[in-house]
Amino acid sequence: MALLDRSDWYDIARDTNWTPGYVPREEIFPPQLSDPYGIPVEQWETFDEPYKVSYREYVKIQREKDSSAYSVKAALSRSKFHDDLDEGWASVLKLHYGAVALTEYQACQFQARMVRFGPSPSMRNMATYGMLDELRHAQLQLFFPHELVSRDRQYDWAHEAAHTKNWAVLGGRHAIDDIMMCRDAVTGTIMVSFAFETGLTNLQMVGLSTDAANMGDFTFANMITSIQSDEARHAQLGSPAIEIMINNGKKKEAQQAVDVAFWRMWRLFAITVGIPMDYYIPLDQRHLSFKEFMHEWIIRQYDRQVRDLGLETPWYWDLLADDIENHHHCQQGGIWSWRPTVWWNPPGAVGPREREWLEEKYPGWNDSYGTYWDVITDNLLHGREEKTHPECIPIICNMCQIPISNRPGEAWKARALQLEHEGRRYNFCTEPCRWIFTTDPDRYKHHLTIVDRMYSGEIDPPTLDNVLTYMGIGVVSEGGRDGHDYSWVDGFRTQAAE
Amino acid sequence: MSGGEDARKNSVGPVLRAGEVADAVVEAIQEDNPDKQFLIEDRVAYIRIETEGECVLRQETLSDALGRPITMPEVEVNLTSFAGRIETTDTEMRFYLKKSL
Repeated sequence: MALLDRSDWYDIARDTNWTPGYVPREEIFPPQLSDPYGIPVEQWETFDEPYKVSYREYVKIQREKDSSAYSVKAALSRSKFHDDLDEGWASVLKLHYGAVALTEYQACQFQARMVRFGPSPSMRNMATYGMLDELRHAQLQLFFPHELVSRDRQYDWAHEAAHTKNWAVLGGRHAIDDIMMCRDAVTGTIMVSFAFETGLTNLQMVGLSTDAANMGDFTFANMITSIQSDEARHAQLGSPAIEIMINNGKKKEAQQAVDVAFWRMWRLFAITVGIPMDYYIPLDQRHLSFKEFMHEWIIRQYDRQVRDLGLETPWYWDLLADDIENHHHCQQGGIWSWRPTVWWNPPGAVGPREREWLEEKYPGWNDSYGTYWDVITDNLLHGREEKTHPECIPIICNMCQIPISNRPGEAWKARALQLEHEGRRYNFCTEPCRWIFTTDPDRYKHHLTIVDRMYSGEIDPPTLDNVLTYMGIGVVSEGGRDGHDYSWVDGFRTQAAE
Repeated sequence: MSGGEDARKNSVGPVLRAGEVADAVVEAIQEDNPDKQFLIEDRVAYIRIETEGECVLRQETLSDALGRPITMPEVEVNLTSFAGRIETTDTEMRFYLKKSL
């Protein structure tokens, strides 16, 4: 028996709106959870997702994706890959799983909100697949690192990170709570489906796969690109929502949602992808620099999609270009210096050859970031390891929760941008982080950074040991050390001898 | 940004997980869009296929190139991303932009 073509029945199967007779529509779809912009339901009924799939197709395709991911893993887990793995790549994996695995469950909850409260039936239908997608992503990224826990306890952060108050986790949670957990379905789909999932997730899940393949980690490369194939589909929830917003006089609101969400996730992804690509991955396995991947995926592909939808390039795009040259280099310095506070072993990885590569990819690196590492290198060469650990506490941005920093060199430009609000002073790393606060101060004003918690008495007394315990270090696993046991300074020793 | 990026400002097309389907898409998409120049970038784990403005990928051409039947929804298994917008039907995928810059 011949089946009907999908297009012959798709609209009937999908369009499940009806007119409620017993209660007003607003009680079923409260504006705070559904659409706070007051766009008429008939307008939402024009929502037509560009990437269509039926449930029958979905199940078949997802089964195929999962069989592939799990069978590649099963086959390669018999290899000796993890036996003599470079700790730089191990750090990429630990950072990735800790930052991403349980966040997928939050993404699942967010999709579930769209399934229930999306104002359009097509949106609810597509989000059902999105919700199942995110469940799959969480399960993959919990299961894959699990077998590594017995080798190295730091892999346990895949499951544990989200349950701790580690400073890096606080940063991720603040952003994810903001864009996923505490938004209505419409604002959320613009922020998550469009601003996040058509943009930066590509770097984490596709860009990084290039380096994974070069490392020979085909299990990981295969898994993350499989995940992103789901994202490429359910991310398409965002564009029809943005077009309906624009057509109904809500362009300004849509633009703000895109601009807020992109910047929030950028500040985090520069750490979870930028540092691995330019520092943790062994030099000979690097394919492109983080900056080159950013140009491919964001400056070219993402921005083009923003403009094609009728929105504008975010107002801070010049600041982003500057941040691409600086943010992750600053944080590599910071995280390495504060290595006991993280759950991976960040390699300094700035030996003579690496510095040559960094200078080529980021002209001026030696005269700026290089001067910071000169001091550290000199201390390590002269047996003063203790001097490579900082003694003062950084100032943390009250938006992204990341230490405030800037390009070193002759004139060190680090400064906090401040804001007084209801008698409290807030510090921000950049103009966009401060701007985001001003878009909705009530949403953000009560949050305390890790450093605020040291002064507020929440961590009492705020000794180093207490702070580390508070952050889960020594509880879930030991904290970080230099991933290469400082072997990257050996090149300078050889140079000096010559 | 740079001149190279400017020249590719209207680029559209699929990004696929490297493998037999990606290879078949490279072949099929050029056959389906004979008047277009394609830029193929090999990024080890993924292949980026781009052209100016618009391109289509047809099920029949792709099945021929692959040497076995494949449905359009099955392409999703390997379609990890794409540049531009997408339109999907039972028999083809189209990548396009509404506004030419």
